Amino acid sequence: MKQIRPRQNLLGPGGWIWAGKYRLERYLYFIHRITGLGLLLLFLIYLVTMAIFQIQGRDAWGATLALVHNQWFGIVVVVFIYHGLNGLRLTLQETGFTLGRPTPPIYPYQDSLRKKRLLTIVMTAMIVLLALFFLFIYFVVGVW
Amino acid sequence: MRMTYLWLLQLVTGVLILVLIGISLILTHIPVILGFFGVDTAELISSGSVADRANPGIWAGLAVFLVAIILYHALSGLRNTLVELVPSVNKMRIITWIIIVSGIILLMGITYVPVILLSS
Repeated sequence: MKQIRPRQNLLGPGGWIWAGKYRLERYLYFIHRITGLGLLLLFLIYLVTMAIFQIQGRDAWGATLALVHNQWFGIVVVVFIYHGLNGLRLTLQETGFTLGRPTPPIYPYQDSLRKKRLLTIVMTAMIVLLALFFLFIYFVVGVW
Repeated sequence: MRMTYLWLLQLVTGVLILVLIGISLILTHIPVILGFFGVDTAELISSGSVADRANPGIWAGLAVFLVAIILYHALSGLRNTLVELVPSVNKMRIITWIIIVSGIILLMGITYVPVILLSS
């Protein structure tokens, strides 16, 4: 019996950026994934440095803090804010709490995400405001 | 069904991380924000302060719990990304086991540090 092989439709990471007409939500998800991978890398570096310095003793603590106690750590805070709040939006939408009511497929079609695009806009506005605040604290005030 | 529960755990840990790290961000930035308005506060992240907070068992336990859920969320997210890029059942199994083993090794290392702090 002839075995039917499914058509390979693998675009790889390139498909994350472009595979047709992507909407805003898709690009927000792409950034979510990239920031997640960045935070994972940072988390691993953080764990290793913290473990090494804590075992070495309290005097070495200052050297560890010097790694994160500079204005560039503001970028990490902004990345975390983006990943956290966008993740909250994704969770709310995936669990169905913020999706619109089902409607008949009548032209012009409207997908479930865009029925509640206000949530995306509000969440993005919150991310931008918080990001501006923390960038101001780190780079303009320069309190570190 | 198992994948559904793993994904549900991914969502729950994500929300928990957002809440707990959010609290941590606010706590560690209060001196900065108050300092901006001219209010002087004690340094929250000095070595003594951090060690004091790590000393009671409950704080050490909370720290390990937080790091454990971050580790689960991060490694599960990495697995989801890699599995999407490599659509093969055998490779998916290999990736899953590599991630499980690295997660256990990292968690053991993380738990070791508060134990050292508590015993010192």
